[in-house]
Amino acid sequence: MEKVLIKQKKSFTYGFKRRLASSRFLIMMIIPAVIFYAVFNYIPMYGILIAFTEYSPTQGIIGSISNRWIGWENFDFIFKYPNFWPAFKNTIIIGSVKIVISFVSAVLVALLINELRMRFFKKFVQITVTFPHFLSWVVVASLFLMMFGQTSGISKLIEQATGQGLRFYGNGKWFLSLIFSADVWKEAGWSSIIYIATMAGISTDLYEAANIDGATRLQKIWHVTLPGIKATAVLLLIMSVGGVLSAGFEQIYNMTSRFNNFLVVDSVEIIDTLIYQGTLGQFDGLSKGESAAIGLFKSLIGFALVIVTDRIAKLCGERGII
Amino acid sequence: MAKIKLEKLPLARREKPGPSNRFGAFDVVIFIILLVFAFSIIFPFYYLFVVSVTPQEIYVNNPTLLWTPKVSFEAYETVFKEPQIWGGLKITLILLFGGTLYQMFFTVITGYALSRKNWVGKNFVMNMILVTMFFGGGLIPYYELIVALGMPDTIWVMIIPGAIDTFNMLLMRNYFASLPKELEESAKIDGANDIQIFVKIFLPLSLPMLATVGLFFAVGNWNSWYNGMLFNKSQNLKTLQQVLQDVVYTPNSSIPNPNARKITTESIKMAAIFFTIIPMMLFYPFLQRFFVKGIVVGAIKG
Repeated sequence: MEKVLIKQKKSFTYGFKRRLASSRFLIMMIIPAVIFYAVFNYIPMYGILIAFTEYSPTQGIIGSISNRWIGWENFDFIFKYPNFWPAFKNTIIIGSVKIVISFVSAVLVALLINELRMRFFKKFVQITVTFPHFLSWVVVASLFLMMFGQTSGISKLIEQATGQGLRFYGNGKWFLSLIFSADVWKEAGWSSIIYIATMAGISTDLYEAANIDGATRLQKIWHVTLPGIKATAVLLLIMSVGGVLSAGFEQIYNMTSRFNNFLVVDSVEIIDTLIYQGTLGQFDGLSKGESAAIGLFKSLIGFALVIVTDRIAKLCGERGII
Repeated sequence: MAKIKLEKLPLARREKPGPSNRFGAFDVVIFIILLVFAFSIIFPFYYLFVVSVTPQEIYVNNPTLLWTPKVSFEAYETVFKEPQIWGGLKITLILLFGGTLYQMFFTVITGYALSRKNWVGKNFVMNMILVTMFFGGGLIPYYELIVALGMPDTIWVMIIPGAIDTFNMLLMRNYFASLPKELEESAKIDGANDIQIFVKIFLPLSLPMLATVGLFFAVGNWNSWYNGMLFNKSQNLKTLQQVLQDVVYTPNSSIPNPNARKITTESIKMAAIFFTIIPMMLFYPFLQRFFVKGIVVGAIKG
């Protein structure tokens, strides 16, 4: 008995060494990636602890964490900070409206393209609607400014027709609708691709069976196509819920002309712009420790949201991601 | 007899003819909705171009014009004369070629290593990468890290932190994993090591996916501005997108305008925007299938 055990142990280490030796080239190939993720992802993850310090740039991340620990003080400060809760509220509103709108528009565009029967036009539509995804927010924001700004484009057209200008960039509500339309304009076509691909994979037997039962096209969409993309849709929704607190810094930064549009910044101030503006931007008002505390708060909520949605999806009988 | 057969065959192959298979009102509605959507995407580019070539005397009287009777390319001449634009283009081209190659190298080797089975440490590395998809440190620690590394105000800040893109890396990994594993086994029997197998067998077989990933990186580099905005304050490191931002958002256009009487600021701004997107517009229709293939393969298996 003892002999057998010793033999097994020896053969295990021997096997491990052999596996290590045979893996050596693959390990060589993975080393850059390990260094990359350690430096650019894990050091900032550790660095988030500066949220509990009175951060000093001269001492750096490690020095501040070991010498200037102040516990929860930064959190006490940000929860009482007058700009924090409005920004939090805006983030939740903008983030969740965006998730719903982009989900609905993507599925809708996919359904329409899937039902379209003209092949040439189909190709043309697909190329056209996916194109804006590849433009930067700098370009898209410039385009929208040219179209809806006061000096040219559609707002000028409205002014000429009604005698009164509609100031899209001068009113929080109109500006928000502009933010949402820009998001749909840029991403709906591209996000629809994944649904179109899923629809192409639905078995034609199901459609034939529906034909025999005398289903109309709307009935086929409702009873065959939509259930066919349900799993994909749930997966993508879970993925997007984690980003609800990220509501789109690049878009808002650019569409508010780098925050220089004071008429609307209050209604689109989100957590990310608050962090950027308060610490690195023009309106210095937060210390690095306080900004990091806001960042940590945001990361934790995002992470919790992913886990909760994943659990809910699993309870509803869908395949989750974790 | 033969005649009857010929008539019957096409019918039998077709779906059962019914009201739902005729081209009807439903199709017309779909066509119109999609036409409106496609129009809303094309129209801004068209309007942009028209305004960019309209001389001032026509534009001031009619700023919502859809057609100009007189064409003037002075706005483009003004843009081309501006050293800022060429400086931005130079930086962007460096990112486009240098940055893309650098990102491809690290992303592809990582994807390959993670596509192979049963090597020591694979699960550890995979989990290490997956965690970063759901949790991150946020802006401030990242900013402090980049400062500590001494990267601000260098071109490296726009290249080095982008070495591996997790989405593109998983795309490559899924593609390598889908190739038959006999390729690797037979090469191993012939005495090839993993690096030789990767370079001589798997890379040549992966050209379509390499093109896809390369194009994603190239577009990202062409559009690069975020890291530049955060870290680079000096004028001569601005990317084309940053220069465009300056041109569009500065109230009276930062581009000095020697022909102030002949063209408007709007024309110059629109010419600058058009200059930035024209390469994409020219290439995109031909490259669209690569992008689409990438996201479809990546999403279905990932």
